[in-house]
Amino acid sequence: MKAPMTPVTVPFLLAAMMALLLGACSGGAPTTQSPNLQATAQVDTYSGPPPASADVQAFETNLWVNISPSGRCGNCHKAGGQSPMFARSDDINLAYSAALTVVNLSQPETSLMVQKVGGGHNCWLASPQACADILTTWISNWASGGNGSATGTQIPLTAPPEQTVGATKVFPADPTLFSTTVYPVVQQWCSRCHSDTAATPQSPYFASSNLALAYSYAQPEISLNSPSSSTFYIRLAQQSHNCWGNPVNCPASAAVMLAAIQAFANGIAVTPVDPTLIVSKALSLTQGTVASGADRYDVHDIAKWEFKEGTGSTAYDTSGIDPGMDLTLSGDAAWVGGWGINFTTNGRAQASTATSSKLYSKLGASGQYSVELWVNAANVTQTKAYMASYSGGDTLRNFTLAQDAFQYEAFARSSVTSLNGQPSLLTNPNNQLAQAALEHVVMTYTPTAGRQLYVNGVFSGDIDSSTGGAINNWDNSFAFLLGNETSGDHPWQGSIRFAAVHDAALTQQQIQQNYAAGVGASYYLLFDVSSLINTPQSYIMFTASQYDSYSYLFYRPTFINLNPAFTPTNPIQISGIRIGLNGAEVPVDQAYIPLSVTIDSSDYSPTTGQLLSPLGTVIPLQNGAASDQFFLTFAQIGTNTRAYVTPTPVAPAPVDLPASSDIGVRVFNEVNSTMAKLSTVPATNPSVNTTYLSVQTGLPTVYNIQSVSSGAQIASAQLAMQYCQALVNDPTLGPAFFPGMSFTPPPSVAFATTSGMDQVVQPLINNLMGGNLASQPSNAAVSSELYNLITDLSACGGAACPTGRTATISMAACTAILSSATTSIK
Amino acid sequence: MFFRSNISAVRKTLAVAAALLPALQPFTPVLAGPNEQAERLFGRITGSEPSAAVLAQMSSDITANNAAAAAQIAMQDPSFYNVTLRNFAAPMTNKAQSVFVPLNDYTATIIGMIRDNVPFNTVLSADLIYTGNMSGAPAYSPANNNHYLYLDANGADLSTVLVQQTQSTLVGIPSSATAGVMTTLGGASAFFYLGTNRAMVRFTMINYMCDDLNTIMDITRPPDRIRQDPSRSPGGDSRVFLNTCIGCHSGMDALAGAFAYYNYNTLTGQMVYTPGQVQPKYAINTGNFPYGHVTVDDSWINYWRTGPNALLGWNVSLPGSGNGAKSFGQEIEGSAQFATCQVQKVFQAMCLRPPSNAADRAQASKITSDFVSSNYNMKTAFAESAVYCMGQ
Repeated sequence: MKAPMTPVTVPFLLAAMMALLLGACSGGAPTTQSPNLQATAQVDTYSGPPPASADVQAFETNLWVNISPSGRCGNCHKAGGQSPMFARSDDINLAYSAALTVVNLSQPETSLMVQKVGGGHNCWLASPQACADILTTWISNWASGGNGSATGTQIPLTAPPEQTVGATKVFPADPTLFSTTVYPVVQQWCSRCHSDTAATPQSPYFASSNLALAYSYAQPEISLNSPSSSTFYIRLAQQSHNCWGNPVNCPASAAVMLAAIQAFANGIAVTPVDPTLIVSKALSLTQGTVASGADRYDVHDIAKWEFKEGTGSTAYDTSGIDPGMDLTLSGDAAWVGGWGINFTTNGRAQASTATSSKLYSKLGASGQYSVELWVNAANVTQTKAYMASYSGGDTLRNFTLAQDAFQYEAFARSSVTSLNGQPSLLTNPNNQLAQAALEHVVMTYTPTAGRQLYVNGVFSGDIDSSTGGAINNWDNSFAFLLGNETSGDHPWQGSIRFAAVHDAALTQQQIQQNYAAGVGASYYLLFDVSSLINTPQSYIMFTASQYDSYSYLFYRPTFINLNPAFTPTNPIQISGIRIGLNGAEVPVDQAYIPLSVTIDSSDYSPTTGQLLSPLGTVIPLQNGAASDQFFLTFAQIGTNTRAYVTPTPVAPAPVDLPASSDIGVRVFNEVNSTMAKLSTVPATNPSVNTTYLSVQTGLPTVYNIQSVSSGAQIASAQLAMQYCQALVNDPTLGPAFFPGMSFTPPPSVAFATTSGMDQVVQPLINNLMGGNLASQPSNAAVSSELYNLITDLSACGGAACPTGRTATISMAACTAILSSATTSIK
Repeated sequence: MFFRSNISAVRKTLAVAAALLPALQPFTPVLAGPNEQAERLFGRITGSEPSAAVLAQMSSDITANNAAAAAQIAMQDPSFYNVTLRNFAAPMTNKAQSVFVPLNDYTATIIGMIRDNVPFNTVLSADLIYTGNMSGAPAYSPANNNHYLYLDANGADLSTVLVQQTQSTLVGIPSSATAGVMTTLGGASAFFYLGTNRAMVRFTMINYMCDDLNTIMDITRPPDRIRQDPSRSPGGDSRVFLNTCIGCHSGMDALAGAFAYYNYNTLTGQMVYTPGQVQPKYAINTGNFPYGHVTVDDSWINYWRTGPNALLGWNVSLPGSGNGAKSFGQEIEGSAQFATCQVQKVFQAMCLRPPSNAADRAQASKITSDFVSSNYNMKTAFAESAVYCMGQ
């Protein structure tokens, strides 16, 4: 059953042409022969009756002038030609009436004209999608009267098809089954192009010799739950894309492919649905109502790339302004899901110099311009990485928008800057505006203010010190490109989801409008919960889009009933929403588990419903946007409840660690404290403290005895020397420590006998080593070592001993003990 | 100068010191008597050597099967406070976890709490702070560390000079806004410094739960409290977010709301507390994911109570959510892992190894139990750990 349409959130332009249009055009003869269309149309001069209204005038200047040439639609849909004759040149008012039967001005992208061309009907480019986008632009311009959409377009909600959540199949992680079914077919027939090792590699690389790589690329092209919906099959069966055979036979090629996909799907078990779940009805992304595309300010677009193609090596300029600056992808440039291209290490998407000259002529005429990008940098470490450039090499450019780590950078050639557009304008490094996240970045240029940068709709605040100037010194031989410099030495890494060049400096309001419009295809997904609350036409609506190649974005869940007369007189409790995917609840990023909302008449609006949460969440992509099936589950909705119980975790079994030493070393301040205590010299002694501060980081910092270095031993000795020097020289501490010892006589006298040496040795042993410890060496052993040391040093190398030698030798003996294991081990 | 004029003497001295080194290393374990046990017990607790009299007294206690009394003697030594406890506290006061940091109010408060047997399960929530009572020292200031620098430079004995004070009075914030060491100047300057205040959560987990984020991360927790600044598609690859980022941010951001009113002002050098007003650092890079959580107050919720981190033993008598730093601190202090972690740190400091085998683990478990039943008296943990590792 189809529910009535309910308008949401945005004002209304023209309502519900769609059903009428579809009815009017159904049954038309299929077109099988493509006329000889030219890439660039020749505009005919109109000489018929004047437009009867302003809307007819808008039609003429925005759509008719672009489609009436014989190189586009005028060859067939002309006066007396194929109906509807919207491209007729004899009467613009009749052409207008005919056009109304194939356009939807409230949602231009849903126009029959767009759908026909997008489906392959006589597109004048190699990409039907690009033609559809260009037509959409022209129709949008008509709808906005050429003034852009400042207020937005109302989007009517329609009830989605009713689908029960069913058991589904998901791609196995192991590519083995793929390798024996689909892979042999694509390897045999597609690897000449769709392989990373092909002479002219063309993404997606599903025929790569690397099985894992091929499998990852192939998944979006295969529908496990509906093999005949697989892109692999459709490309052959319906679009005659590089079929094979001798002679070439598309039906046979398609049959081989379908059989392979079927065999692959048959080998995968279905994922059953947990019968205890409280589930909504199911939807795929594209079964939602298109939510995007109408709110951009595109009046001044002279070049625009939306990257909807998703395949091939050309990104088409869909601005509708001739000549189209179509970009050729090269290097490692590759398509990303949800519209966009990605540069991994060194790639580019470049227009020819001939088409790039459109910028020279258009921007040269206006004297001002804007470069608009939706970018997602791979990192914030890359520097001098050029995202968009209109240049002739490393030293010559008209303009460039670049990333420099956390900063954005703009170069612009003018009468007040160099031929390389310098000095550049850099955003404030402290603001770290460049992030490894999806960002809307706009550079505007005016002859007065020069460059200004806007990130996510906000002016960066950075002032162009060069101000502005004339741009009549531009060079028309340069090329426009994304992701690099023409010389190839400034690669940028990341994804570009959208790019446009405007022949005007957008205002902040216009920039914010485009930022708010977002990027990529977004949909309103209406999950039917009618049966759960016994209220027909009740839905929980998410805005959703493919977020990148690996996920979907779901945000702002809203309860809405499509019956305008509905009022929740009986409050409806909703809590614990989880998003399901292909038969199972998604295990990660379930942002709405804590949600608990009551739908009631005080918060519910018949036109906008009731917002359940302003939050968004990212859901992993599984089988691809064409076939992934979503649903919702609830802990409670209405009177239905389900208890979610988190399993009690089990502690992991403890693991024994390797045996470690029973002893360790003293760390820096323990060494110092111990030396101070044993020597009786306070740690605050200035000379000691100075030495300690200079060597403390060289002393051990951890207890582990295996981490001790020779440097630590040296540092310990240095500190011990200082303590011993302070001890021996101190008139109070020295005599107290070495009772009866006089350091005045020369060594030959003071240390002439063992008892003389014991005046030093025994106090050291008693005070520094302690007694009665089996863990210490014996007194005799230590005494012997010290006797030898003293005796050796007393010889003074055979020469006369200098004055003070006895004190020095005493310090040495002290140091030998104080820096030994006595103080370093614990 | 001794060093420069006697190169030969230095070399020979070092040779003697080195010669003594292997002789002193008992690579082959030997049975330790009461003296050896007392010496090791004292060394582990104080980092120093006992006097002959202390050694004798401790040895006597050990002989009398009262090693705990011996440990208590060792803990009366100033080095226990000036060295051991300082080393215990210092790494917790800075992100680099360096021990080479000046004395500050964070370190002094931990030392003082242990000295005074203040229940350590208030270290993250109490309205207290320790200052030094030392002649000539500048008064405590919430805007600089001069007071503690003076104590440090003048060799203040931390076993005697520290005095317990009321933090709210000294710092000038409401008592309800105090949260033990987290809201000291030392804590604020380290973990409210720039950034997003997530550092306070992470380092609190490291220092008081012995778990860094890599061991806590759980990608199954609800992400609804993750703020707008973490990209959900870093570099265009949302798998990075879904497989890693979310694991920490889901729990961490939900807890970090507790610090929404706190900041460290780098210009004034002072902690800032703005009740009712969320700090701007909670709303940076909002364009990275506009549909992320917007912080509007200082509420927090502990999502780690469910899932694998339930093993941390959260206190079921607490609600698991609240407002502000103090209740967050109580949530941490109330967990079983908090007590386990303190004992683990002490065990490692006293035994020079983490609990490594079944016997160690059983002992650590017993010490934890005793620590809790002693009203979180940290000396219990130090004494029992040191006794366990004093040798046999």
